[in-house]
Amino acid sequence: MFTLFKKKKAGYIAKVLPDNMEILVKRGETLLYSALSQGIKWPHKCKVGSCGTCKYQLVKGKINPQLDFSYVLEPNDIKNGYGLACQSILESDIEVNINTINF
Amino acid sequence: MKFFVNTRYLIVPIMTLLTISGIFFGGAYSWVGVFLFGINIVLDTLTRNIHLRANFDDSGNSYGIKSFQYFVMYLMLPIFIMLQAALAWRLYEYTSTTPIENSTFLGINYQIGLSGFDLLGSTLSSALWAGLGIIYGHELSHNKKEGFLASRLLMALSGASHFTYAHVYNHHLDLGHEDDPATAPRGRNVYAHAWLSHMGQSKFSFDLERKKLQKNNKSFFSYENKWILGYVYSLPSIILFVWSGGFLGIITLLIVWGLSNFLLEALNFMGHYGLIRKDGPVSHRHSWDNDSVFTSWFFIEIGRQCDHHVRGETYFWELDDVDGPNYGIGYFSLFVLTLVPSLFRNFVSQHLKRWDKDYATKEEREIGARFNSYVTSEART
Repeated sequence: MFTLFKKKKAGYIAKVLPDNMEILVKRGETLLYSALSQGIKWPHKCKVGSCGTCKYQLVKGKINPQLDFSYVLEPNDIKNGYGLACQSILESDIEVNINTINF
Repeated sequence: MKFFVNTRYLIVPIMTLLTISGIFFGGAYSWVGVFLFGINIVLDTLTRNIHLRANFDDSGNSYGIKSFQYFVMYLMLPIFIMLQAALAWRLYEYTSTTPIENSTFLGINYQIGLSGFDLLGSTLSSALWAGLGIIYGHELSHNKKEGFLASRLLMALSGASHFTYAHVYNHHLDLGHEDDPATAPRGRNVYAHAWLSHMGQSKFSFDLERKKLQKNNKSFFSYENKWILGYVYSLPSIILFVWSGGFLGIITLLIVWGLSNFLLEALNFMGHYGLIRKDGPVSHRHSWDNDSVFTSWFFIEIGRQCDHHVRGETYFWELDDVDGPNYGIGYFSLFVLTLVPSLFRNFVSQHLKRWDKDYATKEEREIGARFNSYVTSEART
């Protein structure tokens, strides 16, 4: 019951592999928005979840997808933890890999 | 400043509530929605030369209060349901030949029963404001999954729930291409565009679902089919109007859906008419801005299309002037021009010439020239 009154974290850390770059993602902000705000050159195009350019692979942690990824990503990609940074809100500290993606 | 920035976007909620009140009071008040629409054309035209930038404090933070703006946007869903319910109630009175007489409700005088003329006023008022309410359906389609669902439900009141998917997955990706039904090519008029864009977006949503379900080895006739589900969301409106008006109810709902979708597609028409994108990402030059003060506040900055299409994730109160192509007049004024295709073509030709010269790439200019020669030869015949 006390979890109801637990103060929510102001944000989470996204560690980007393979360079171990760390991004502070404020609560409610998307991974892409935070990355770009902090000067990280994350590949992107449409920013609304339709092009798939900002694709990443989740290695550890939990995200809350804001749009259904299955319109843009293949079923196998989704099974393997791929997501769209522009539509990902963090629910824990995460580790993501963008090296495995052929941009 | 904070108070002003946040309350200036309340024109549509207030005017929609006035329209609902007009339908409730009956008689001549049934036409309040139509009257307000006319007033807006005048206000937009009179203030066409006032252009304001987005407001930020000294630290660069926006004055917009996200929780307040979202509260208002979500509130528009029950408000538009009320608008439709009010019309259905009046329709029921008309078809059940309720005698016209005065009554009071909580001390307020209103008219029971209505004439055919007043029913027409109520229908047109509802249709116009349902169409203007589509701006909230658009804004909510871009933010968070709860907003996306609210957008779908809001659009379903106009039988256009497919818009939400088509707008995000088609319009934002294929803007300025022939693959985007919402981009009007040079030479097309607003009436043809309304039909082609509406059907094209529904077709896109149909194909999107078909491909998604195929990829996941699921039947097209699945509860996960968002194209079918979108039309299911519109069923309550259909049932309500058939129940309250029978055949007349169907006609009334068709007027509401037809007019509200026409307004939606007119916005698409004005936002990108004649602009061309050849490869490369969407840039500011692929949209027309309409940022005169009344348009900006009334349409919750939807007229800042140049910035919106490059920063689709940005809240409407943070959108700004990016020095993109600009018609120089607001949406209401321009809408009147689009209704007369020859007037619109005359108006827009100078703007397109400037676009070709100052904004277009070499390839885009070449495609534009081909369209121009086709439009000119069509006009001669």
